[in-house]
Amino acid sequence: MAGDKRITVAFAGNPNSGKTSLFNSIAGTNLKVGNWPGVTVEKYEAEIAYRGYLINFIDLPGTYSLTAYSPEEIVARDFISSGQADVIVNVADGTNLARSLYLSVQLLEFEPKTIMALNMYDEVRARGITIDFKMLQKLLGCHIVPISAVKKTGIDSLLDHVVRLYEGKITPPEGKLTYSPEVEDAIAKTQELLESDISLMSRVAPRLAAIKLLEHDVTMHRIARGSPVWIRLESKLPEIMNSLENAVGGGLQKKIAEDRHAFVRGAFKETVTEREEEKKTVTDIIDSVVLNRIFGLPIFFIVMWLIFQLTFTIGEIPMGWIESFFTWLGGTAEALIPGEMLRSVIVDGIIAGVGGVLVFIPNILLLFFGLSFLEATGYMARAAFVIDKAFHKIGLHGKSFIPMVTGFGCSVPAFMACRTLKNRGDRLATMMVIPFMSCGAKLPLYVLLIGAFFPGKAAGNILFAVYFFGVLVAVLSAKLLKSTIFRGRSEPFVMELPVYRFPTAGSVLMQMWIKAWMYLKKAGTLILAASLIIWVAINFPVNRVVADEYNGKIHAIEKNRSLEDEYKRASITALENEKSAKLLEHSAAGVFGKCIEPAIRPLGFNWRIGVALTAGLAAKEVVVSTMGTMYSMKHPGEKSASLEERLRNDPEYNPAVALALIVFVLLYMPCLAATSVFHREAGELKMTFFYIAYSMATAWVLSFIVYRIALLFL
Amino acid sequence: MKMSELKAGDKALIISVQAEGEVAQRLLDMGLVPGTPFKVIRKAPLGDPIEIKLRGFMMALRIKEAACIIVEKTGEIGDGIPMGRRRGRRNGWR
Repeated sequence: MAGDKRITVAFAGNPNSGKTSLFNSIAGTNLKVGNWPGVTVEKYEAEIAYRGYLINFIDLPGTYSLTAYSPEEIVARDFISSGQADVIVNVADGTNLARSLYLSVQLLEFEPKTIMALNMYDEVRARGITIDFKMLQKLLGCHIVPISAVKKTGIDSLLDHVVRLYEGKITPPEGKLTYSPEVEDAIAKTQELLESDISLMSRVAPRLAAIKLLEHDVTMHRIARGSPVWIRLESKLPEIMNSLENAVGGGLQKKIAEDRHAFVRGAFKETVTEREEEKKTVTDIIDSVVLNRIFGLPIFFIVMWLIFQLTFTIGEIPMGWIESFFTWLGGTAEALIPGEMLRSVIVDGIIAGVGGVLVFIPNILLLFFGLSFLEATGYMARAAFVIDKAFHKIGLHGKSFIPMVTGFGCSVPAFMACRTLKNRGDRLATMMVIPFMSCGAKLPLYVLLIGAFFPGKAAGNILFAVYFFGVLVAVLSAKLLKSTIFRGRSEPFVMELPVYRFPTAGSVLMQMWIKAWMYLKKAGTLILAASLIIWVAINFPVNRVVADEYNGKIHAIEKNRSLEDEYKRASITALENEKSAKLLEHSAAGVFGKCIEPAIRPLGFNWRIGVALTAGLAAKEVVVSTMGTMYSMKHPGEKSASLEERLRNDPEYNPAVALALIVFVLLYMPCLAATSVFHREAGELKMTFFYIAYSMATAWVLSFIVYRIALLFL
Repeated sequence: MKMSELKAGDKALIISVQAEGEVAQRLLDMGLVPGTPFKVIRKAPLGDPIEIKLRGFMMALRIKEAACIIVEKTGEIGDGIPMGRRRGRRNGWR
């Protein structure tokens, strides 16, 4: 493929315009997920060979406008204004053109090489809406290609248009967007000033520059300030703006936006003919139930409960397969690998560690399947709508709901998702409570302990109660934090409730795989590293005195001919166990666990739990893998027993300890990855320390209470 | 009258938006500009926010934000007048 024939194509559009499903159907398996530099918004890219070109597609975050309020908008507008895109594909929801066109107009002002992909055209026709494409193309000043991302129609035509527009074989018509006379007058005056600066004009279009300057656009102001023309602008621009402000009687930004809306409305009226319908749509009918005064909240909770039942009950089946696979793998490896040391590294370190993490992939896949499904159907926005008042009461925003739900998967993206909350107080308070929303990596431990100490029938309900408890702690913390240190104004709640759609399998599965892949990436690198460190900490330093003493005893029994074989074997096993336990006690991990034991003893935890909890700071999955490694050491004679059985047989564990441990893991400081993201997002070391102290204190106090109460009843 | 004073099912026209900064920007982005007809669909189960329908789509906003929007009521549920029909014709043709 010729390297010089590259086209960069950016996709821009409203949220819920079907942009992502269009992008997915074009990208197919070439999709790459990354991050936008500097901000924590996901970046989707794909490279496709088409008609002798290598087309690099970039999916910009969905936005309603190109103002610079949210990080998504900033990413989108910075990319568009940087001119990196050769062609922009503006994905518009054909069934909702009246609103989509507002962004189209803004995009066209920035980049004339824009093509509109009029999505959901199949639905447009089914609803009897007719669109005068010729007229609309003339008014907007761009080519329009009707497509259907779901039915995969019109996509080749769209790509052809992209290539032909890039090659200059087609030229978009001149757009007809004009502002009200007063604004046009000011634009003309500003433009005249700007045009005297040739170097500036070679970089930006004069009309666009003039409009952006009048709109108080920060980026354009910065560009202008660095240009020679600023000397004249500095004195003349305020004058122009003032007289315009007086003429229109209000803010310029607002006036310009209103003019754009007026143009859009005009264009819509002239080109789109809708069948006059007051008939109830499917969305209206679903909403009348789902958002019903009486049923709304119960449905909300049922939906959340169903997701966790799905995760737990259905996830159990593939979990069993994976578990038996790793047991088999461990057994096989043990038989094949020579050398005690190497065998121990591979079986007890690597297979036990990674296997203990991978076994929970089904749970994570199912959980994210559920959440992506809710997002794609449109229920997620309804959930925010239903629950906003409650969140508002505790000082948060209905939008905090989405990062908090994301927190159920992983705190890392959840912290990042908090950027949609613009108010710093709202944002920090939400971030502080997100770790209490139990993340996916903590699930393995719950599953393990609930499975080991509670009857199977109660498992789903206990798991739900654990999550609910986390939410409750989060709510109370938010209330506390918002009324003390994060006091301040809240962000507006202005949100679209998208039409319900049946999600395409592709987009839901894609989201699910992306999340699982990110989890695996973490599991594969960080967690394996942590497992090995823990393995070293458990095995070293070897206490020679203890080792020799037990080896001697074992040797003596083996040599003793007067004993029966069965008795011999039993005593040797007992001695081996004792030896492992003693060695563990003297290892680095044991020493550390003992050091912190006094602090966690009141919660019913022994030093082994102390070691696992410490290791869990690297990543929460490691709590389970550490326990796995330590218990495989403790009972070398019964390799076939699962970790669950070993815990059940350990006299130091009982249901009360299990509950206290669940509560502690639920609430204590999240993993180091999440903590560093928190630090970056919060931007203050002070805040990070406060957050660590707060979560640790909450975890200790509540586990103590739970342990003491549980002891009375269980 | 303020948007927040309307009841579910009421139809009205936006007269002006008395908001500043981000609230104003968000409302503008969603197309709440003077002259826009809309209908109040419902209140959330907990009484806040409210859902309105305008230009063929649904959106939610809090009562606090709705109180910044001055509206003129044009009809109510069951009056048979489609929203925005007050000025006679819709979409400029017929």
